[in-house]
Formats: sequence, structure tokens, C-alpha cells
Amino acid sequence: MAGKSGRTISAEPRGTVKKLLFSWESAMVLVFLGVILLGNVISPYYTLKNVFREMPKYLSEIFIMLAMGYILVLGDIDISVGSIVCLSATLACIADNAGLPFVLVVLICILTGLACGCLNGFIASHFTELPTMIITLGTQIIFRGIAEVSLGPGGSISLQNKDAIKLLSRKIGIIPVSFFVVLVFALIFIVVLGRTTFGRKLYAIGSNSTAAKYAGIDVQKIRWIVFTVAGTMAGVCALFFLASTYGASTTTGQGFEMEVIAMCVFGGIATTGGKGKLIGGFFAAFIIVCLRIALGQINMNTQLILVIIGAMLIVSVLIPAIGNALRLARKKAEKA
Amino acid sequence: MNKKENGIFRKITGSREASLLIVLIILLALIELLQPSFLAPQNIAQIFRNNALTMLMALGMLCVMLTAGIDISITSVLAFSGMTIGLLQKYDVIHNTLLLFLIGAAIGAVCGMLNGLIISKGKVAPIICTMGFMYIWRGMAYVISNNAWASAEDVSGFSDFGKSGAPGPYIILAIAYVIFFIVMKWTRFGRRIYAVGSNAEAARISGINVDKTITLVYTIMGLLAGITGVLSVSIYGSAQPNMQYGKEMDVIAACVIGGVAMSGGRGTVVGTFMGALIIAVIAKALPLVGLDSLWQNLVKGIIILVVVILNVVTQRVMDRRALARREM
Repeated sequence: MAGKSGRTISAEPRGTVKKLLFSWESAMVLVFLGVILLGNVISPYYTLKNVFREMPKYLSEIFIMLAMGYILVLGDIDISVGSIVCLSATLACIADNAGLPFVLVVLICILTGLACGCLNGFIASHFTELPTMIITLGTQIIFRGIAEVSLGPGGSISLQNKDAIKLLSRKIGIIPVSFFVVLVFALIFIVVLGRTTFGRKLYAIGSNSTAAKYAGIDVQKIRWIVFTVAGTMAGVCALFFLASTYGASTTTGQGFEMEVIAMCVFGGIATTGGKGKLIGGFFAAFIIVCLRIALGQINMNTQLILVIIGAMLIVSVLIPAIGNALRLARKKAEKA
Repeated sequence: MNKKENGIFRKITGSREASLLIVLIILLALIELLQPSFLAPQNIAQIFRNNALTMLMALGMLCVMLTAGIDISITSVLAFSGMTIGLLQKYDVIHNTLLLFLIGAAIGAVCGMLNGLIISKGKVAPIICTMGFMYIWRGMAYVISNNAWASAEDVSGFSDFGKSGAPGPYIILAIAYVIFFIVMKWTRFGRRIYAVGSNAEAARISGINVDKTITLVYTIMGLLAGITGVLSVSIYGSAQPNMQYGKEMDVIAACVIGGVAMSGGRGTVVGTFMGALIIAVIAKALPLVGLDSLWQNLVKGIIILVVVILNVVTQRVMDRRALARREM
């Protein structure tokens, strides 16, 4: 599976072991260990128990990250997911406060996401001339607009009956339930992308959609499915978001889309499509989560974390360019 | 059919600006029927003042999108530059309006140049690079201000420039639009941007320094965002680190409605102006037709989608007709 990884560090890794060692994903593992070490050095409270206790509020975005990985592999982009989270959470809150049974609330939350994603996918697959950035820019404003209208002038809503949703924020031992759910979803998404024909089709479409079409892949149907899945995952995210915030407002989920895209790109998935592994994005997500918890514990200005994430993102995408430049310089030197 | 007539007819129906103008006129006529005072000069002035920030940045976004790029860091650059000049006044360092504008513009230009260099030299996807800086500059705005505001008293003397009724914002808007109209239409630099956007490879072969053009385009975008940051402080009379959060999408939306193609090479200053104006007029008109301002975003989103989808459908019909004519 040559060329599947989004970015490589060495020029042309030869053996399998070398390939594994110098892949972007193994670099992610190293960074992950580095972050944990950093946390232990700077904060005396950075114990496993504390980290798991603070984790749930950051975990929900990972659900979207998994689906965003698929979309980026297709060479598309979806910037409406944050608004879908807002709309799903809002409608679920309204349904819950109206006294509907919890099962129905969960269903409303997830089906709202599914419907939104389905709309994105419908437009993307029927008007293929349009870049998905524009489509989801439009639906981003629409979905949040619907949430704004249903929230009314107050602009926020809180859950009256928190008992049922607290089931989702329970813990098994020291580990929160949502952590296990994330792991299960991640496993499914990673295996489907890496080990099934469906996953291989996504890479085929991402590298060359015309060629994929002539190879007999129903490109538009697959794009429709993937966008629907992304919407559904945004609904799942909204559910777990509610389990840690117990309410929604017009600003719920704002900026989520960029954060999950950042996780994917940092994890080695190229926005141009056809390249990268989801496991990289998964590690990137946990790197960011663990870093946030560590910096939060030493009371660092919470916004400084933005600067650090931004810098990490830019450095990570610049590494291949720097590597190329160095290689060119070396070749020139050899010739001379 | 007369050939010349055909040409003029085609030119009018085929031109994006003409159809936008028609939409705008119909819109204004409808609103004027419902609310006869809508077109009063005061009201129009208010529309321009409320949307001056979006309109100003849309010019830079036009250039960026012409090169098939995108810049989502603009509102963060805006916040960083606005916050900086807010703090300069808070701690009584500088109170000169012109100097503050120059400082804001310089900060913006540096931020933009960084974007441009990384995108052109580092071959990084524009959305990713500008996303990184979106976090960095927004974070920096919080860090330098230590989460505090520069309040109305702090910027009191300076906000005279942009306060309601003052000509400041209109002058800046008018100058910017005139300059960009001339540059994009009649100068070598403007045509180079179009060339790079429609076919970067062809542009390179014909001797255009593509990297330099792209770097310059992002620098201009940053410069405008920096100026807009200063203008924003002056219009709203305060500086806070979260100002205009998420508004970069409004700027992109204005360009998209104005007919700027995200794939590059297509779009004009006039179209961008009208795109921004249509969004502004609709936002202002919603309360008049009995819709709460809560509906503003919903309507705006629907308009964006309808416009882009209509565009695709008409293009398809035109292509099919052209094909049919050839087959005859």
C-alpha cells in the first residue's frame, strides 16, 4: 500500500520495519508520549484518574473527526458539522424539555444529524460542479439559522431533566463511558477505511474521481453516503456534548469544524484527497486533548492553547516541504 | 437574428454583474413598496456602515479566491490588529488616528505575508495554512490583552473617526473600491492575478512569477484585514479579543453570491460589491417584511445555496444549448 500515508518523514523508506518506524503515524505516537511526559513534568495533578475525569468534555469532537477523515480522503470538505451539532443539541433539548421519553430524544438528536448530512450529500452528489466548501458554507449558515429560530430570542436552552442523559456521563472505574464509545467508533471507522473495499473506494475517488468512475465505482452514491455519515456523527457528538454541558445555545459547536479538520490534517490526512490514515487523526485528537488538559491544570491562559494548536498545525504541514527542500539541496551538493 | 444584437443580448444575460444588478433592483423595489422610507439616504448610509467591515475584506477575499485560494484567518488578523491598537490607546501610547491605521495595516500585512509565503513557497493548502493562523492570531489577541477589553473610554478620541454619522468608514470603503476596481481591471498586477487563477501553469510558462503573485495577494488580504480591524474598533467603539468571530464566512459568502468562483480565475470587483450589498440589504429588510432578525442567518444561508445552485443549473442549460447548436 505504497503512498497511502499522507506524509512521510524519510525520503524513500525501504524495509517494512523502517517504513513503520518512519511513518507519520509513528511520529504521532512519539508526540503523544511527549505530551504525556510534558504533562507529568509541568503539573503535579497529571494522573491517569484526573486526565480521565477531565476528558469527557473534549471527547465528543472525536466522533466528528472520524467522519471528517473520510470526507477529506474523498477530497471534499464539510464545514457545516459544527452547525449540525448546534441544531441537533438544540432540538434534543427542546424535545427533552417537552417531556418526550429519553429514547426518542436520542433518536431526534441523531436523526437530525442524519437529515442534515443527507441534505449536504444530496446537494454535493447532484450538483457536482459546486465545491463542497461552498455547499457546506451555505448549509452551515442554514442549520445554525434553524437552531437560532427554534431557540428564540433567548438564544439558549438548558435541560430540565438531566437524569437520563447522565447515563452517558457515567464512569466505569475511572474511565468515562464516552471514552469506550469513542474507542468502539474509532475502531469501526479505522477498519472500514483501511481494510474494506468501501474504504479502498474512498481512496480511489480521492486520488482520481474520474478514473474511479470509469473503474465502476458509483462515486456520487458514495459521496452521498459519506456526507450522511458525517452528519450522523455530528448528531452523536451533539448527544455526548449534551451529556457534559446539559444545554445548548446559538454558539454551540462553533469552530468544531475547524478543530476536527485540524486534527485530521495534523494526523496526516491530506485535504487534497486520497492520502492519509485515520489512525493518525485519532492520535492527533488525543494529543490535542491531553495537551489541553495538561495546560488547563497549570492554569495557563486557555487561549494560548489556540496559538500552540495553530503552530503545531502549520509546522506539521510544513515538514514535508522542508524535507523536500533539504533533499533538493543535498542532491545539488552531490552533483557539484 | 442580427449578429450585433445577439452580442449585446448575450453580454447582458451572460454577465454576472448585470443579473446581480437586476436582482438588487427588484429587491429594492419590493422593499420600497413595503416600506417607502427604506431608500432614505440615512438608511442607506447605515447599511453601508453596518457592513463596512465585510465589504472591505471582501475585496481582499476576491483577490485570494481569484488565485483559487481561500483565507479563513482574516477575522483573527482583524482581532489581533484591532486589539493591538486598542491596547496602544488603553495604555496611552499612541492616540493619532492615522498612525493607528498605519500600525494596524502593517500588522495585517505581515500576518498576510506569512500566509502567502507558506502557501506559495511551502506548497501548503491555503485552507490549512490560514486555519493554523486563524488559531494563532486569535489566540495572540487574547494573550496580548490578557482576556480584557479596551473599553469605550479607552478609545474615545479615536472612535470619532467611525462613530455614527462620521464620514470615516465611507471614505475608506470608497477609496478601497476605486483602487481595487482600477487595479483589477487595468493594471498588469490585476491581470496577473486573473492569469494565475485561471491557469497557474500557463501563467508560469508565460513568465509570471506565480509565487510572488500569490504572496502579494495574501499580503493584500492581510493588509485589508488589518485596516478592517482598526476600522472595527473605531466603528464599535471598543476592542475585544473575540471580535467578529466567525465572520470570515460572511466575507466568503459575499464573494460567492457576487459570482467569484472558488476554483479561481472568475470574479469581479463590481460583482463582489453587489454580493455584499445584496446580503446587507436583505439583512436590513427582514424586519420590514415581518420576520424577526432571528431569521437573518437562515434566509442568508438559503440565498447562498439557491444562488450557487441556480448558477450551476443555468450553466448546464447553456452548455446543452451550445452543444445542440453545434450538432445542428
